[in-house]
Amino acid sequence: MKTVPSDGPAAAPSRRRRGASGSAAIVVVAGAILALLVFLALFADLVSPYDPLRQNLIASLQWPSAAHWLGTDDLGRDVLSRLIHGCRIAVIAAGEATTIAILIGVPIGLFIGYRGGWWDWVVMRVVEAVVSIPGIMVAIVILALLGTGLHKAMIALGILFSTSFLRLARGVVLAEREEVYVRSARVVGASGGRILLGHILPNIAPPLIVQTTLTVGAVLLAEAGLSFIGLGVQPPDASWGTMLSTAAAFMDLHWFLAIPPGIAIILTVLSINLIGDVIRDGVGRGITVAARQDAPVASFAALADVAPSAAALPPPRPDEVLRVEGLRVTVSTADGGELPLISDLSLSISKGETLGLVGESGSGKTLTGLAILGLTSVALRTTHGSIVLNGRDLRTLPRRRIEEVRGNEVAMVFQDPTTSLNPAFTVGSQIAEVLRAKHGLSKSAAWARTVELIDRVGIPRPGERARAFPHELSGGMAQRIAIARALSCNPSLLIADEPTTALDVTVQQEILDLFRDLQAEFGMAILFVTHDLAVAADICDRISVMYAGEMVEMAEVDALFARPRHPYTRGLLSAMPHASDRKPPLPTIRGSVPRPGTWPAGCRFSNRCDFKVAACERRIPLTGTDRLVRCIRADELVLEAAQ
Amino acid sequence: MLRLIVQRLLALIPLLFIVSVMTFSFTSLLPSDPVDLILGETGTQEQHEMLRERMGLNEPIVVRYVQWLGRAVQGDLGTSFFNSVSVSTALMQRLPVTLSLTLVSALIAVVVGVAAGIAAALRPRSLIDRLATVGATFGQAIPNFWFGLLLVAIFAVNLRWFPATGFSPLSASPVDWLRSVTLPAIALGLSSSAAIARQVRSAMVGVLQQDYIRAARAQGLSSRRVILKHALTNAMVPVVAVLSFQITVLLGGALIVEQVFAINGLGTLAIGAVRQQDIPMIQGLVLVMVGLVVVVQLATDVIYGLLNPKARPS
Amino acid sequence: MSDDALLDIRDLRVTYWGKSLLGFRGKAFDAVKGANLSIRPGQTLGLVGESGSGKSSIANAVLGLVPANGGTIRFGDVDLAAMKTRYPPDVRGQIQAVFQDPYSSLNPSMTVEDIVTEPLRVHTTMSRAERRTRAVELLGLVSLSEEHLERHPHQFSGGQRQRIAIASALALAPKLIVLDEPVSALDVSTQNQIINLLYERRDELGIAYLLIAHDLALVHHISDRIAVMYLGHIVEEGPSDRVYRAPAHPYTRALLDAVPVLDPDAQRRRRASRKAAPARETPRLAAQGCPYRNRCPFAMPRCEAQLPPDYPVDGGGTAACFLFEAPAGQGSARLRLVQA
Repeated sequence: MKTVPSDGPAAAPSRRRRGASGSAAIVVVAGAILALLVFLALFADLVSPYDPLRQNLIASLQWPSAAHWLGTDDLGRDVLSRLIHGCRIAVIAAGEATTIAILIGVPIGLFIGYRGGWWDWVVMRVVEAVVSIPGIMVAIVILALLGTGLHKAMIALGILFSTSFLRLARGVVLAEREEVYVRSARVVGASGGRILLGHILPNIAPPLIVQTTLTVGAVLLAEAGLSFIGLGVQPPDASWGTMLSTAAAFMDLHWFLAIPPGIAIILTVLSINLIGDVIRDGVGRGITVAARQDAPVASFAALADVAPSAAALPPPRPDEVLRVEGLRVTVSTADGGELPLISDLSLSISKGETLGLVGESGSGKTLTGLAILGLTSVALRTTHGSIVLNGRDLRTLPRRRIEEVRGNEVAMVFQDPTTSLNPAFTVGSQIAEVLRAKHGLSKSAAWARTVELIDRVGIPRPGERARAFPHELSGGMAQRIAIARALSCNPSLLIADEPTTALDVTVQQEILDLFRDLQAEFGMAILFVTHDLAVAADICDRISVMYAGEMVEMAEVDALFARPRHPYTRGLLSAMPHASDRKPPLPTIRGSVPRPGTWPAGCRFSNRCDFKVAACERRIPLTGTDRLVRCIRADELVLEAAQ
Repeated sequence: MLRLIVQRLLALIPLLFIVSVMTFSFTSLLPSDPVDLILGETGTQEQHEMLRERMGLNEPIVVRYVQWLGRAVQGDLGTSFFNSVSVSTALMQRLPVTLSLTLVSALIAVVVGVAAGIAAALRPRSLIDRLATVGATFGQAIPNFWFGLLLVAIFAVNLRWFPATGFSPLSASPVDWLRSVTLPAIALGLSSSAAIARQVRSAMVGVLQQDYIRAARAQGLSSRRVILKHALTNAMVPVVAVLSFQITVLLGGALIVEQVFAINGLGTLAIGAVRQQDIPMIQGLVLVMVGLVVVVQLATDVIYGLLNPKARPS
Repeated sequence: MSDDALLDIRDLRVTYWGKSLLGFRGKAFDAVKGANLSIRPGQTLGLVGESGSGKSSIANAVLGLVPANGGTIRFGDVDLAAMKTRYPPDVRGQIQAVFQDPYSSLNPSMTVEDIVTEPLRVHTTMSRAERRTRAVELLGLVSLSEEHLERHPHQFSGGQRQRIAIASALALAPKLIVLDEPVSALDVSTQNQIINLLYERRDELGIAYLLIAHDLALVHHISDRIAVMYLGHIVEEGPSDRVYRAPAHPYTRALLDAVPVLDPDAQRRRRASRKAAPARETPRLAAQGCPYRNRCPFAMPRCEAQLPPDYPVDGGGTAACFLFEAPAGQGSARLRLVQA
């Protein structure tokens, strides 16, 4: 489906709703126009007030009147009647050429896409050759062979447009062939034909429909163009193109002649293109969004707007760099509501300290990091809370001031180093750019410092590596570069979002050691986001465990691993692969991580918890002083550590 | 960069070969015998045979292809069947006309398309975005020649700001040239600017969601810098591919738009040649167009390589 | 041991070709450089390695998704490698697979019933009703139920999708299932559910698994034997407990040492024994010699010159390392000596 050009991002929920109602109206209007077109084409003889060919030289070039609603042309023929008969030619032309294009293009495309090898190579070179000649020239050449006339012109256009269907069909086959489910089908033993027809072909239908609408529009324009230059429909037959050809000769005398056929072409092409756009957007949404991301379900419990209670706030710590209180981030939903993704989150980090933010997918841990920087995507809103960095609340700062804070006081390292570095520039220039923009260094000073930094993060031959592009580096090297860039302005807080998850385990160890080493030297605080408790055990001083958008437990690292207090922490610990080396059955947490919007109303872990009691149906506050836990039975439960 | 150019040139060899074979075999596909076309019903049997011999039509097809290609490479594309004019001369006379029209319209399309696309992408669903989207949708539905007629009616016939027809060579008077080329170039560039605007918008929206944009923002680089440097460089990568295709489209569109403005370019030549089945002329036209497209593709490939380091040969 | 093996791989070589200028076959790259492996009926072999080690290429070669470029893959009494990816239906039906990404491995346009019964439609003449009965049975095996039959994959969570994939793999009662990173895309709290499920079904149905994963600890839970791959070579192979508790090859040791453990104190001790290492250059080594030699703390001159053959190791299995060249027993002693 990658062959369908997409005209925008996956729409944010609120936009999607408005877009949906808007597109419904568009489809109705455009559909009505096309229906009218087909109706006029079918019943042209009955509907049109005059014979389109009947001349009346006395009444030539008349303006619209009661007798001739759209006036008359140079030979006194009724423009409306000619326009209506033009519908017939438009429908025939579009149908004929598009059908020819599909019948030639799709089978060949499917065949060469699946067969590959020499067939593919030769056919694709021929297609490239045809495509490299302007379309109208190809049509002209074919018409030189066939002679002029409507049907010959449509054969020419059909052959011309078959190349786009061919490429589409081939593209879909090639893309789908690499899909894992096609691999699965091959493993099952499905034959080539079965895979092509049963698994791949159903996926070609949506882009094919889109391509068909695009082709119909293009054919109509091309037919008009060919008739306009006298190579398509031949006078005196009425087609929109020939009508415009006549109009062209009388632009100075009677410009109105150009208006009716022009509007007819525009309205028709516009209608078909708009329908194509709507189908394409629907297809894009249906397959890429709905299939990949589970749409928020309506059954979520309304969340009371609880103000953060004093008890939930972490006690003040010496040398605090960052203090977040009562953070709440929401996403707007399809029905106009606001769905919380993070609620009532408070935490603080001191100078030189590493705080781990641990949780599974959908816990809101990554989002917390982005919210601190004010970099959440447009659909999300930070609605409550304060984010105090070095004594200033970032939420109250104007955008310009926040841009100053970013990089200088807080920086971020992302999960995938190969996508978080800009592929278009050398890695060195990306570090030097920050130094120049933030510290105003000269070009040469910035470069010298860049090479120093690259050297500092343990990359051999730093001068040479600075000139490399991101894709030329291994994942571990690229992550070192990203770290060097983040530290270039000596920030007091570094947010590291799963910085080792995309790396091999031996490289992960090196990167963790590098973080610790750099922290000892630069003294920054680190907010370390990870799903891996073992990584957190290695790098963190304190750990916050997150589940379903809220913090469920926070403790010093040794205490947390020795004596977890929340049942979820305990469950997570024992579920880690390294927790035991025994044979199955391995300990599990039943059920699965709830998606935002499906969180239980009371304790959000209650539907998976083995210790649930009636009181867990209520919202549970975070309690404690130096260790925090969000469980009403925390005091009575004695949970064993994993080991 | 030299490696890239050499590599792309090598990759173009099969393309040029196939185009030349297709163009050449065009003669044999024609339903009527070229000798009959030239002599009509008139000439005698001997005259037919003589001409056949003179045109080398009795040689094996491979020999004829090699001979034809050899001459074509040296710039000899034969003579027109109808007025004994050298095809190369005719083409060279018309080429600057069509070329200036195409290039000016490409410039308009790029400037308008890129600006509108960026403006729309920066504020999705804003008024600007909606206007740009509606404009682009209409732009792609309006036939260029009709738009040309409209421009003539308004700006040439009514307001008399520009000449309605004709073309003044750049070498004669740059001002007249600009006046004569403005209306046709706008008419021609409209749909391409719409296509480019759509592509820029979608590429830009996609790029703005990438991690490296977030990372650049996290480093505290100014929005302006992030958008114009980090995002635009990457967003232009798919746009350049579209641009290369659009120039081909513009070249074809020029053939039609020339008719609206009575400009004596390649289009007029092509239409005449088709009507008269003037084979050498049509072959020449195809070769010239492919030659232009190849140059454009080469240029885009180089720009593509500059924008996208991954595309460079290592 | 290879006589009663279900799957026996000898000297397997898998090669990929880059594209040359004109789109023809270009530079060759050996992803697997002569691997030997063996799985007995009903047993699990865990194949462990980092990205680029070639472990997935072995899986693909066994499944016939890529052709072997040398060596044999004996399955029962047929040589899969000789068939060049065109397996006869009876062989196909006996080797099934579960892939890593439960989001792309299920065809989004098919219902769960279609997905689970697809192998039956291909390989059997069962009627629709019979297939449906079997589908319900299969869903039962993976703790899903009849009500899920009509749904589409996108209505399920990752763990549930992986269950559907497993049900489909079980449909033909295969003798071997290739599990390519079956849980690495899942949340930690659901991973073990799938591991337990795979383990139970194996013992019930007597299926053998070839389990591909990057995590030694995870593999150890359910494997009888473990093989460790590095840059296209199998560097160590042996009984699961021995490889996990007493790794022989220096690379296996490095791999185990690098995995953080759930004990902050233990991590502190491990950290104290190592120093911050600079980033390593991507190894671009001459063909001969040990693949690990430039990272190996025990590298000797001869490691440059010669690819170490498989030497037996105490406690079972083999290691491709000259440290174990001495008669059994002395190798490990020597390793301990060098380490101290």
